[in-house]
Amino acid sequence: MNPNTDIRYLVIIGIAVMLLLFTSFLVALIFSQRKKLKYQKSMDKLREHQQNQLIEAAVRSEEQERHRIAETLHDEVGAILSSAKLHLLGIKAAVLDERDQKLHEKGRELLNDVIGKVRGISHNLHSNILKEFGLNEAIRHFIRKVTEGAFLNATTALDDNYQTENPDNDISIYRMVQELVNNILKYAHASEFLISSTLDSNVLNLVIFHNGDGLTQEQFEELRYQKEGLGLKNIQNRVILLKGNIHFTRGEEGYRINIHVPVSTSLKVEAKQDTAN
Amino acid sequence: MENFLHFLSDWSEIWALLIPLAFMLRYKNKYAYLKPVKGYIWVALLLNTAATLLWKFKVNLGFREGDFFWSNNFFYNIHSIARLLFFSWFFILLHQPFLVRLKKAIPLLFIVFVLVNFIFFEDFFYYWSFSGRLLSLETGLLLIYCLQYYFFVLREDHSEDKRPPSFWVVTGLSIYAVVNFPIFLFYMAFVKQFENFAINIWDVTNMAFTLFCIFLAKAFYESKH
Repeated sequence: MNPNTDIRYLVIIGIAVMLLLFTSFLVALIFSQRKKLKYQKSMDKLREHQQNQLIEAAVRSEEQERHRIAETLHDEVGAILSSAKLHLLGIKAAVLDERDQKLHEKGRELLNDVIGKVRGISHNLHSNILKEFGLNEAIRHFIRKVTEGAFLNATTALDDNYQTENPDNDISIYRMVQELVNNILKYAHASEFLISSTLDSNVLNLVIFHNGDGLTQEQFEELRYQKEGLGLKNIQNRVILLKGNIHFTRGEEGYRINIHVPVSTSLKVEAKQDTAN
Repeated sequence: MENFLHFLSDWSEIWALLIPLAFMLRYKNKYAYLKPVKGYIWVALLLNTAATLLWKFKVNLGFREGDFFWSNNFFYNIHSIARLLFFSWFFILLHQPFLVRLKKAIPLLFIVFVLVNFIFFEDFFYYWSFSGRLLSLETGLLLIYCLQYYFFVLREDHSEDKRPPSFWVVTGLSIYAVVNFPIFLFYMAFVKQFENFAINIWDVTNMAFTLFCIFLAKAFYESKH
């Protein structure tokens, strides 16, 4: 091999070696990135799991607290109020003069009123109907109660194929509905209101429609990070907990809130739809 | 078949650039760091078209041996300077907090080298060949830029599923620089001693350039999302 030929070989070998080095470097880089990505994904999963655990703990403790307050109201405050009513009723009204009779009557009315209110709050916090009769009945009862006497045409069309298998999930769905309906009654000034549900391949689809001033998805995303949007944040937390999703849309006829929640449920043969006004 | 391949190789300096150009015009993107790449494609197309047309049609254009435009080598010198400056700009625009001073110093040092080299040592318009010294230094510097990019990516904690357009640009540029660095380093020696080898190895350069252009096209394609 003469020295002149060596230069050509040297260049060819040089190109080959450099290409080989570069390819090895690139492969090592790609493998390292994949490893990093895998680690990142596992960390994200762990973080998500921890976040879900925190949300679950917060939601459960909130529920326990509600339960405790409801029990205290019902068993202690309610009992004291009932006792006070009994004592009041023990007074012989006939012996009182006209002024005292009126005061006695007014006191009795106020006491009845406050007993009713305490019972209402207690039931609202405790959600006995939810436990005894299921999610659909609890929603119907809640809608009937909150729209009573309001200038609002409320309709419920709930899919009775849905059967509760996880009561904790139902509590979360019920609380979301409560919060959303209360918000609509408070801020939307709607005259028409509809809540419907369908069960489709183990996914419960809830739709809340109203013709007032509602929220768009952008407004929801913005509000839930604000101090005033605590209720919306709670809704979002419950959606995360249920591994579902919520979407706010604005249509020509009004605003729509779609909630999709994956549920594990068995199907009932009979389906029932009802309308409440 | 061999003739066809030679024909393809001869004109590859033009048609290869049309691939990234098509993707660049088809997909608008938001990446500021791709601006220098866009600029490079236009300038390279202009220079390569001029160099190839001059080489193919110099007789038809009425030039004779010994005329200034009988040789197209100075276009390669201009192309080399333009490539380094455009890609220096590209690497600076990536804003990677790694060897920042070096990245900013390279184009300045390169300009100083170009001035000193062509004032005192070489003729920019040398008739028989482009400057092997200029082109080998340019590919060497591009290789340094590419390696520092990969080292930065290696050091980074964060990684994404999808590779950014910059990765494709740098990979194409690396392939071009890795293949051409040894060729340009010994090119003057080939021209003097092995003219045929110098002509044949230019096909390898053209192939590397075509690959580089395909990677640029991939970068523009990826930038559409």
